[in-house]
Amino acid sequence: MNDDRQNRIASWEAVQQGFRGTGYIADRTIATTVYLAWHLGKPILVEGPAGVGKTELAKTAAAFLDLQLIRLQCYEGLDEAKALYEWKYGKQLLYTQLLKDKLDEIVSRDNGFSAAIDKLYKYDDIFFSRHFLEPRPLLKALESPDGAVLLVDEIDKADEEFEAFLLEILSDYQVSIPEIGTVAAVSRPFVFLTSNNTRELSEALKRRCLHLFIPYPDAGLERRIVRSRVPDLPDRLEKQLVSFIQEIRTLDLKKAPSISETIDWARVVVLLHAERLTSEFVRETLHVFLKYQDDVHTVEERMPQLTSLLLRNEGG
Amino acid sequence: MDRVLEDFVTALRLAGVRISVAETLDACSAAALVGYGNRLLLKDSLGAALAKSGREKDLFSDTFDRFFCEFPCTAVVPERGNDAPGDAPLPEDPLSRMLLQGDQASLAAALQEAARAAGIRAIRLPTQRSLYTVRILNALGLEGLDGTIRTFSGAGSGVSLAQADALQAARQELVDNVRQYVEQQLDLYGRGLVNEYLEDALRKTRLSHLEQRHFEKMGELIRRLVKRLNDIHSRRRKAARRGHLDFKRTLRHNIPYGGFLFDPKWKQRKLNRPDVLVICDISRSMMRLVRFFLLFLYGLNEEILRIRTFVFCSNLIDVSDVFERYPVEVAVDRLQQGTGLPIVMGLTDYARSLKDFRMQYMDIVTRRTTVLFLGDARNNNSDPDAHVLRDIYQRCKRLVWLNPEPRSFWGTGDSEMKRFLPYCHTVRECNTLDHLERVIGSILAATRH
Repeated sequence: MNDDRQNRIASWEAVQQGFRGTGYIADRTIATTVYLAWHLGKPILVEGPAGVGKTELAKTAAAFLDLQLIRLQCYEGLDEAKALYEWKYGKQLLYTQLLKDKLDEIVSRDNGFSAAIDKLYKYDDIFFSRHFLEPRPLLKALESPDGAVLLVDEIDKADEEFEAFLLEILSDYQVSIPEIGTVAAVSRPFVFLTSNNTRELSEALKRRCLHLFIPYPDAGLERRIVRSRVPDLPDRLEKQLVSFIQEIRTLDLKKAPSISETIDWARVVVLLHAERLTSEFVRETLHVFLKYQDDVHTVEERMPQLTSLLLRNEGG
Repeated sequence: MDRVLEDFVTALRLAGVRISVAETLDACSAAALVGYGNRLLLKDSLGAALAKSGREKDLFSDTFDRFFCEFPCTAVVPERGNDAPGDAPLPEDPLSRMLLQGDQASLAAALQEAARAAGIRAIRLPTQRSLYTVRILNALGLEGLDGTIRTFSGAGSGVSLAQADALQAARQELVDNVRQYVEQQLDLYGRGLVNEYLEDALRKTRLSHLEQRHFEKMGELIRRLVKRLNDIHSRRRKAARRGHLDFKRTLRHNIPYGGFLFDPKWKQRKLNRPDVLVICDISRSMMRLVRFFLLFLYGLNEEILRIRTFVFCSNLIDVSDVFERYPVEVAVDRLQQGTGLPIVMGLTDYARSLKDFRMQYMDIVTRRTTVLFLGDARNNNSDPDAHVLRDIYQRCKRLVWLNPEPRSFWGTGDSEMKRFLPYCHTVRECNTLDHLERVIGSILAATRH
């Protein structure tokens, strides 16, 4: 199985081919970085605007390598208890209550107070054993026997403290649980971290990762992506649609449409059986790829120029 | 090949990309994995290992192209047609031989080798150009070449004289080549130092004397300083948040469950977020300082600091909402132009402004508030009503006055600083970035207990 994986990822071209097979069009940079990360055993930090396929990259890698995908969605206030492991406190307390009689029995057999403490001391490790440990995504990824793809999504949304906590996992693939000891990875997970750049990540984290920046795709790449994702879209429409989106990205918008929005729009076009992209049709479906009212206004104002572009593309 | 990478990393560092030893090792293994055969592949791989942000990617790409470019050596004796003296004996000296044979490739290789021997990596300053040019030329074997030229011209025969002339021309060209090469390398290795000098100078320059073209650089510097302060202080805040088991609350909470304690509650320490109230004089003399000060302050993490901002000139207004609505840079620009703000930009009037504040906003000053007052206290020769400041002083936790003028100027001319002095907890002279950083650092540290 492992050899099989090594074969599959033998060169960056193989990665590109394989990803295409699962419907993800990767350019040279992406394929090279994935290839390097796998062979160097490094995490990949993926940055780029929202919706260019950062999360999708990890999913595709998991599918391509036939590994389990373990996802950790980051948010403000995320801590070890949610990310790594948690003691089942409730269960612990409940057990002590339920086992009260048993405990009484153990303790009452000895008369002295210190003897009773000594007796209890022998048992207390029971409550901090694996039975009472709730593994969260990070620990799951380390313990999965076959290796896994670990996706730490939107790391920039988590607190800086959490970032520092991740360092041990990212560099040594192990974690320390005070009550149990150090847990090392059974099989090294393939780690992806994604960030939307809402804040600058720490140097220490960046140092441990390979860095991949995914920008908005150029027209050629975007057309290939749309073709692979929405195969029903007629060729002529696809060209028009992509060049229209590309043109819109050059406008000054709050949130420029990204690949996922292009794909959404392409699906809408297919669903509505549009014959051609007319200005009315575009106007009615603007909301599919523009998420702010201000942006919709900006684009509507420019509609005449943009439509003439559509017509030109239709002719050509 | 690793020596090449080492040089490349040096060049990158000097260009302003921060690279650690671990990353260099990554780059080495990446290069070993993909090899040096495919230039684009190598660029992608090294880029993934070395450049870790958008800005660094740009720098990387630029440096890569300049570093891994071939330097063309044009200094060879041009081949002539039939009148070429084919029978002329080739000289002993390798440099002359290369020149005469027109072997550009070996010449380029020799140049690289000589440059390395001369330690070109260490070049930093434009004044070192001649030094390195001479060193490289010597390492190339210029002396041998000169010897050959002398021998040829001394020999007297027509062929030798022609050879000597050709070599002389090639020598000139070679010197030119080496000069260009040194220039190129200086561009590669020297940039960073200039940057460093500039940053250092900018930190110490008085903000009011700063030139417009350095504003962008200043923004970058401020961002870095702010990030450091954020890092230091946010960690401490978080450390204070970790709770212990709150036994009393756990007991109380679990009473409905018949005393079975299975829903633990945790102690939580209340976090102390300093309340900062900024009052800025935005008359023309103060605007530069205020601009950078606010850029700095609003860059700080919201969790560390809660800020309300007031600005005044002839009257005082609350501008906190401007900062809430727009990003800092835009907000500061709006303040500067006064767009849509009910502020009168006449003569600076401290008395009126302080009274405005007392009338409308006195109730937001509490025992937890730190008041930062930015002003030069130049009140155009009218009474500043300093006692109003006393009212604020008595209500707040700490009143800090930042004055851009040096201490010796306080109280001279129309400066009323001496009259405000008794009502401030701390007074600082503040007119460079270094001052700013120190002041804000001390505010964060002091309001933390």
